[in-house]
Amino acid sequence: MYRFFLSLRYIRMRPINWIGTLSIFVAVSALILILAIMSGFLEKSREHLRGHLSDLVVAPSFDLPVRQTGAMLTREVQPMMDTVLAHPSVVAAAPQLVWYGMLVPPRREGVLSDPSSMGMVMVSFVGIDPQLEYAATSLRKDLEIEEKHLFGARPDDLDDPFAYPKNYEPDPDERPLDTILMGESLAKAWGLHKGQTLELATATIDPETGAFDQTANRKVLLAGTFRSTFNEMDLQRVYMDRRALGDWLGRYDEYSQVVVKLADYERDAETAKVELRRDLAAQNVLHPAPESLGDPDYPWELLTWEDNRRSMLAAIENERALLGIMLGLVLLVAGFGVFAILSMMVSEKRRDIGILSALGATPKGILSLFLSIGGLEALVGTVLGVIAGVYAAIYIDPFEQWLSRVFGIQIFDRSIYYFDHIPTVIEWTGIVAIAVAAIAVALIAAAIPALRAAYLNPVDALRYE
Amino acid sequence: MSDSSPLIQARGIQRSYPVGDRTLEILHGVDLDLFPGERLCLMGASGTGKTTLLNILGLLDRPTQGQVHVVGRNGWALSTAERARLRNAHIGYVFQFYHLFAELTALENAMLPAMIQHGPLGYLGKRKVYKERALELLHRFGLSARLKHRPGKLSGGEQQRVAIARSLLLDPPIMIADEPTGNLDQATGEKVLELLFEEQERRGLGLLLVTHDENLGTRCDRVLRMVDGLIQGEERHTREAPSEAEA
Repeated sequence: MYRFFLSLRYIRMRPINWIGTLSIFVAVSALILILAIMSGFLEKSREHLRGHLSDLVVAPSFDLPVRQTGAMLTREVQPMMDTVLAHPSVVAAAPQLVWYGMLVPPRREGVLSDPSSMGMVMVSFVGIDPQLEYAATSLRKDLEIEEKHLFGARPDDLDDPFAYPKNYEPDPDERPLDTILMGESLAKAWGLHKGQTLELATATIDPETGAFDQTANRKVLLAGTFRSTFNEMDLQRVYMDRRALGDWLGRYDEYSQVVVKLADYERDAETAKVELRRDLAAQNVLHPAPESLGDPDYPWELLTWEDNRRSMLAAIENERALLGIMLGLVLLVAGFGVFAILSMMVSEKRRDIGILSALGATPKGILSLFLSIGGLEALVGTVLGVIAGVYAAIYIDPFEQWLSRVFGIQIFDRSIYYFDHIPTVIEWTGIVAIAVAAIAVALIAAAIPALRAAYLNPVDALRYE
Repeated sequence: MSDSSPLIQARGIQRSYPVGDRTLEILHGVDLDLFPGERLCLMGASGTGKTTLLNILGLLDRPTQGQVHVVGRNGWALSTAERARLRNAHIGYVFQFYHLFAELTALENAMLPAMIQHGPLGYLGKRKVYKERALELLHRFGLSARLKHRPGKLSGGEQQRVAIARSLLLDPPIMIADEPTGNLDQATGEKVLELLFEEQERRGLGLLLVTHDENLGTRCDRVLRMVDGLIQGEERHTREAPSEAEA
């Protein structure tokens, strides 16, 4: 009984013991807050990296014969769409026709005749079916942008984003223009406005000879802009109606890839990849699965959005691992606080330890007395730290604004991010891990002075004055 | 003094400490018995090994050679935990410097041996009994108004009375007192001593008392004189009542 009674009394009566609690409290609350903010930023980074990417992208390698049969893949889109949509995990799918070329801004028209000119922008043309695309990707949300500045301009009719702007009057003497959607960043970079005409240029393949030697220019009208979370994508992507793009290119392919939305990406992605591969190969619209994962000649063809951003996501995970190591060091410092306070206490309480031995306390009992002190300090510090850390993570924005007001400096510059608040994610597994680690570190730190107390010679201890 | 088997029986006790390359011999083979109800006084000049012998007899220090039996059990053949339990249940200590816990009240200090003897559940089940026992001791020792006072608010005599109450809480058969009045003025020391002797008498304790006070010898059953780590003389007395001046 004495170990609990005395540990509580020592903690209550010796304010210096609260330094150990305080160090654990500060470490735990700071770790939880840092973890929440870092997780928030990492999650935003993931969203940012994802951009318009759908859950899955199926991109058949049409020019590669099936290794087992020597047959070429079917190029029609319908068998692909039917098979994809038949999968129970798939909620939507949309075909895309992808090609590459250049955008010739209005002030640079005619620059193709001057190959030394740097006035062109390399872009990817993505032909889409808007309604299908809306269902499978975040495009509709990205078109619903607030028109914050001159260059941001949502299409007049979101249900038909390629419709002419209302104030545009087509020239009856000219061929009706095709319309495009481009990233707000790209429009801003080149000073383009909704309703403005510009020229696209590309080279195409001769369907007869397969030679990549046909140049093609087309005048188009900017019908609107979008803003995804991935700025690089916004700078490089131009959307057109899929059929209009096919018509311009004279392509015999109906599509290049199909983007797929799953009911639950986290749950279904890996299974769906395997099953879709199997089902699509059976329909001869995709190559069958490789015999080994290390096959270097194997066309991947079916990728999750994470597969597409693997290296960048790996970098994020690496950051998270580094963060974990740094957080571990903070806990070690807190553990050192507990160690220092208890070591000091054992030195100060040598005589008490001797008295306890004389009164019949066992070394095990004395060990648990000092471990109880370390454990109680850690428990109180951890509980308060968790409450404070979670509270701070939830109310980080008002807190940051208050700090900014008090100190007259801008702590979080909202203008440099895509989001207007400090992102936080409260990860309970991480919080539990921090709490358990804090208590474990404190107990390990307390064990060293506690062992010293337990094995103190009572005669030496009683002699201590 | 009783003729029954001794509460403490020490035979051939030697104690030495390594000091650099040498070995410092403190005790050279001490034999000692303490019987139930006996008041045994250990006297000697400073540095003769009295406190070392007391620590060994109280199972706090292991002898280099020799054996100590406490209530018939070989104390240094027991495990550390068994030895601690033996100490808790059978030996009450009174120290020169009181050795109370500064963080505890007088009542809590007095109840500490019971907290050590029992786990939380066992203690909570008997707390009332121990509290009544501690209160009874403290009331008898004139500390009724000091129950909630911490040692820092108590005089030296009061602190020593709390220490005696603590040593008696579990009703041990043995009491070891190491110069219990050594830190008190004469009048206060005499009061404390009276109280100690009264309780020894009342409970039939075996009391082992270390003192420098020659006058005390006449109030003990036996006086052992230590010289250079050996017991060189033994005097037997018939107890005297304290002189009027001492009282």
